[in-house]
Amino acid sequence: MPMPKLLKRPTPAAPNEPAPLSPVEAATEAGLTVVDWIDERTQVSQGLRWMMFRKVPKGINWAYTLGSATMFAFLNQAVTGVFLAMYYRPSVTGGAYESIRNINDNVFLGQFVHGMHKWGASVMIILIFLHMGRVFFFGAYKYPRELTWIIGVVLLILTLAMGFTGYLLPFDQRSYWATIVGVNINNTAPFLGPYIGDFLRGGPEFGATTLSRFYAIHMMLIPGLMAALIGFHLYLVMKLGISAPPWLRAKEPEAVREVVEV
Amino acid sequence: MPADRHKQTSKYTADRGMPGAFEGETVTRRRFMEAVTHGAGGIAAAAFGLPALGFAIGPIFKRQPFQWQIIGTTHDFSETAYVTKTITIVEGIGEAGKSIAYVRKRNPAIDNQGPQDQWDQYIALSSRCMHLGCPVRYVEAAERFICPCHGGVYNFRGEVAGGPPVRPLDRFYTYSPPAGHPGHGYVYLGPRYSVNSELQRFSPRDPGEPLDGIGQYLYPARASTAIRPSIANLPLPPTIPGTGS
Amino acid sequence: MNQAEKEQYLREYALLKNEGKPFFPYAVAKDSIMAVFVMIVIMLLSLLFGAELGPKVNPTTTTYVPRPDWYFFFLFEVLRVMRNVPKFTPMATIGIPTLCMIGLFLLPLYDRSPERLITRRPLALASGLATIACIAFLTFSGANTGSPNQVNLPVPAGLNKAQRAVFMAGEVIVGESGCEGCHELGSNGNNGPGPPLTHIGSRRAAAAIAQTLKNPTAPMPSFANLAKTSPKKFAELVQFLSDLK
Repeated sequence: MPMPKLLKRPTPAAPNEPAPLSPVEAATEAGLTVVDWIDERTQVSQGLRWMMFRKVPKGINWAYTLGSATMFAFLNQAVTGVFLAMYYRPSVTGGAYESIRNINDNVFLGQFVHGMHKWGASVMIILIFLHMGRVFFFGAYKYPRELTWIIGVVLLILTLAMGFTGYLLPFDQRSYWATIVGVNINNTAPFLGPYIGDFLRGGPEFGATTLSRFYAIHMMLIPGLMAALIGFHLYLVMKLGISAPPWLRAKEPEAVREVVEV
Repeated sequence: MPADRHKQTSKYTADRGMPGAFEGETVTRRRFMEAVTHGAGGIAAAAFGLPALGFAIGPIFKRQPFQWQIIGTTHDFSETAYVTKTITIVEGIGEAGKSIAYVRKRNPAIDNQGPQDQWDQYIALSSRCMHLGCPVRYVEAAERFICPCHGGVYNFRGEVAGGPPVRPLDRFYTYSPPAGHPGHGYVYLGPRYSVNSELQRFSPRDPGEPLDGIGQYLYPARASTAIRPSIANLPLPPTIPGTGS
Repeated sequence: MNQAEKEQYLREYALLKNEGKPFFPYAVAKDSIMAVFVMIVIMLLSLLFGAELGPKVNPTTTTYVPRPDWYFFFLFEVLRVMRNVPKFTPMATIGIPTLCMIGLFLLPLYDRSPERLITRRPLALASGLATIACIAFLTFSGANTGSPNQVNLPVPAGLNKAQRAVFMAGEVIVGESGCEGCHELGSNGNNGPGPPLTHIGSRRAAAAIAQTLKNPTAPMPSFANLAKTSPKKFAELVQFLSDLK
């Protein structure tokens, strides 16, 4: 693809008459200098070239966009979540519910951002299941991509855990009872269950710190883990290459065929 | 890979002909350096990791305080009908720490199972379904407790009459001081306890944990649940002006 | 997959990759268009449905009917399906989900055949489709589960206005009396211990229904008290049940 005219390096002036650079040329030059300066120290362009200009196999179709769409939904959750956190107060004694009411009723675009976070969660879960279905039916989890699948399953579990912990935060009736039931489901694991319940609630009953525990898990612990695992998942995808559609067969190159005939 | 990889070599560096070996030395300087590196790294990680972990799991070992609370006078309750009382489970968190107890007077004809002592002269049932903790509703016409979630049903005594609950409804200790003792005429409610299908008492478990057979060992008692406080310092009822103390 | 099959795959994949196009801009273009589409869907959902906030937390409720978010409906329904075998409650809560997750987690370790085309993997195709069908069915029936304190049955055709009013009144009484703790009524209520009542009117005459309500076989509670205290309500109840044909 040819570079736009604006981004081209200015043609050097003849040695005997150093023409002064026009303002546009000067700005372009300065920009390129900054990019060069950073690249010289980080060599980031090498990695970018490896990432962006690697080949993807023939026959890639729209089903292959589900993974990146899931990641995009995760980014949406991260960004809207950060802005919701600016107005949210994780206080049991009268704060949590009121602060969400405030977001919905008073904050500019509050209900819209809250809605994007809420519906983004549903969309992300649908996308993650569709992505998993694609990988399963295309047999893309097989050698050499087994580890990518296993990390993907961990990400699925973490996403469901996000759904569960985030559910309590608005602190309405629905959240409270869903949390009671959810924690009690964990409690039914033999031997360890009761202690898991105590850990999640921060005590034997739903208490003063339960909400802040869920808040910390929802907005720091799990997102951090997820970001790291998504990074690893993506690295593996790039390193091993996007799987080819299973119905495609490669054309044998000419040279090889001749050797076989001999 | 050499074929004799597993061949037993001497543990002494001197025997293996290492340069600079000492008599009786078994650890090479390289291995010592490696051990120091791993050890120091591990200690550094543990130095912030362990306190943080202990901080997070601390509540598992901290016993929750509990105080007797007054839920009414002895005249408020009858043997044939449940009275709904709002009680405080966790103090200091307002509405979120409240719960519901269904209370009635003990009826010796019906409540002929389980312990019969000073702690259950009044039967106080928890409103938490023993399947997964949804709020059960007492339906007077049917004399049943019905859970709206997965269809648990309990009879008048709080025992499972149908559906998935794994044990009878939890109960609360109740205490009514005898004549001449402070607080006489009032009914006090203590912490929760669990019962198995024979209505024997167990320390409070969470919903979904059966207590029959090996259930009590599969779901052990926790160190965090409230124990029954002493009756020596019952909170006294507010004195009503004009009635004396 | 043995070593030869692994090498064969890697070679085949290298050839296919060689025939392909660069990631940027061909694949990235598709990804970006998909991202725009996802964003539009999320924003539309937010604009159309907003973020409704229910009533504030109230642990002392006795009427609230807890339901999970849609993506946990399948789990909710598994718990309801297992409701008549309380012994297996921990199986439904922890056992089945954990086994499913372990199965999913270890999938590439036990499915090691080199074949990738789904039409040549009949077992994978069948189990994949069965899983999707199961989850879809459980989600659907979980979403359609009504409260056990309500009856959602259509009013039978051919009733005049007064009869309709009696039918509606009887419906409310059935809901409030907790009949659905033990009986199935349409898509609401529990399948047992009592028989389903959805078509009770075609099996029993009104007089027989009234008789059963007054003198039921245990463990069903008697409604004789209701017949004495408010005969109108009792008549509505009987009329409603005999209208269920």
